[in-house]
Amino acid sequence: MTAPQAELFDLPVELAIDTAVARRVIAQFIQGQLRQAGFERLVLGLSGGIDSALVAFLSTEAIGAERLLCVLMPYRTSSEASLVDARSVVDALGCASEVVEISPMVDAYFAADPDATPLRRGNFMARQRMAVLYDRSVTWGGLVVGTGNKTESLIGYTTLFGDSACAFNPIGDLYKSQVRQVSLDIGVPEAIIRKAPSADLWPGQTDEAEAGFSYPALDRLLFWRIDKRRSVDEVVALGFDRALVERIDRMVAGAEFKRQVPPIAKLGPRTAGVDYLYPRRRPGSTRG
Amino acid sequence: MTLPPLRIALAQIAPRLGLFDENLAVHRDLLRQARADGAGLVVFPELGLTGYLLQDLASEVAIRLDDPRLASLAAETDGLSAVVSFVEESGDHRLFIAAALLEDGEIRHVHRKLFLPTYGLFDERRFFAAGDVLRATPSRLGVGLGLAVCEDFWHLAVPELLALDGAQMLINVSSSPGRDLAATNEVGLGTATSWQTLIRTYAQLTTSFVVFCNRVGVDESISFWGGSEVIAPSGEALFTAPLFEEGLFSVDVSLADVRRERVTLPLLRDERPEWAVRELTRIVAERGGLAHDSTADGWAEPGLDVAPGERLERPIGFRPKDARRDGAEDGAAEPAAAAAADAADAADAADAAKAAKAAER
Repeated sequence: MTAPQAELFDLPVELAIDTAVARRVIAQFIQGQLRQAGFERLVLGLSGGIDSALVAFLSTEAIGAERLLCVLMPYRTSSEASLVDARSVVDALGCASEVVEISPMVDAYFAADPDATPLRRGNFMARQRMAVLYDRSVTWGGLVVGTGNKTESLIGYTTLFGDSACAFNPIGDLYKSQVRQVSLDIGVPEAIIRKAPSADLWPGQTDEAEAGFSYPALDRLLFWRIDKRRSVDEVVALGFDRALVERIDRMVAGAEFKRQVPPIAKLGPRTAGVDYLYPRRRPGSTRG
Repeated sequence: MTLPPLRIALAQIAPRLGLFDENLAVHRDLLRQARADGAGLVVFPELGLTGYLLQDLASEVAIRLDDPRLASLAAETDGLSAVVSFVEESGDHRLFIAAALLEDGEIRHVHRKLFLPTYGLFDERRFFAAGDVLRATPSRLGVGLGLAVCEDFWHLAVPELLALDGAQMLINVSSSPGRDLAATNEVGLGTATSWQTLIRTYAQLTTSFVVFCNRVGVDESISFWGGSEVIAPSGEALFTAPLFEEGLFSVDVSLADVRRERVTLPLLRDERPEWAVRELTRIVAERGGLAHDSTADGWAEPGLDVAPGERLERPIGFRPKDARRDGAEDGAAEPAAAAAADAADAADAADAAKAAKAAER
């Protein structure tokens, strides 16, 4: 028996979406991406958190569990609960899975640099996981599917070329609140929906404690500022704290570089991304 | 004249991006299927032969109207009407998003998309030229047809002019990207709700059939939502195809419904195009700075509608120095006086004063 949504999380009314339509769009998006690239399989990093769990469910819905590989990549400080939750997703879906410990790789690098900050270590772990996924992309013969949500992308709570690296991202336009809504609808285990979101880079870390705001409030603010183009004064009139609004604005602006392809110095007649503009997947781009 | 019943087939397909020959084969197959099913009109979506998000591929998949591949498709339309869409390259190498009416083996009519959305997620004007011509076309179906492509229908004049020009069936072919998934929308998709409202309204206001064929499938980030429809001249939806589902959907209509509706509700009879032309001529002159704009600030320069806070010594630059409006010098139209007077009158007075001054020089 699934608990009702209100018992599990707070869903701001303006963020509520039609989950059936969302699942339909995402399923055909995944199928379309694979078809255009000439791939049939997907690989993703399953952390035990809600974002990657949802993508695993959506991928299974789109292409079937037998074509999905979930890679669990714990570090020695990762919480045991994360691994348990990740396994519960694999069990629920019946997809292939593999555990790749990243501790030896990460520790080998930092052995010579024991004073490295948690931020550096966290970023390195995220990039190490990316490296593993892209290696498994070859062995499994599948595209790496992204698991970042819209909220973290907007405020820049991602590691460049780390957790944000992927071939395509089916949930990158869903706010965290909407990720929860779709997760509940598609059957992500309740324990995963219920727990506090965390990057799990060190024990006890949670997104909300680290950032100082709640996801529902942040999602609402981003929705009104960005999707609905409301000015700072207008969102303050909606009840948001001006200092918070200005702080989030700065985070969003400061993370612009993480959301875009790096600029290339314009020198020749046609330059990728400037005046050489092709669909990412086009005739001739499929494998084989 | 008695019009036989008509079976319309909506080809709600998912074109492959940039793969002309594959898409052409799909068109051929579906034309044959529709014919076997007794269809008299088959409608394919916008850029059904090429896919939508082409960017620089546009020039690579463009075809001229004398392209043998188009002729081969037309050859499949013996005793059949079909609307297909592709990138058309003109003799002078402009690229248009085109929809063509193919009938009895021939290309009977070509409509070049008039309105190219270049905002939000759209970037069409960067890659395409806009058409300049809108014409209803006669057809073997016994009624005039009006072809339009997607964004054309977001401009009121398009359905109105097509109906006035003799169309009794408006055919819009689209590649409409689905977005705005808010749960408050009727069908869970803002785009679909907007389109459904539009085409019911157009059918009713033009007392014409509206046939809407929208593609499905995915190009890069965007998903097309389908939901193709046939709307009766009364505004009633006769058929709505499923969202996001590929398929060839048949709808039977009675073209005689147009006559019934137009006798009952003679909106088109009561249209006043000559009046609309007069007003449009005036509005165009005002926007072009060739006539006084009654809704502009009193002393705004012609062609601009906002005046600077204070009257300038020199005009902003839209008129020669001698003809400038320098009312402050002659006292007759001091800002205070102008504010007290009706704005339009004040401007006229300034014009008169300036004309007199010019004559003196």
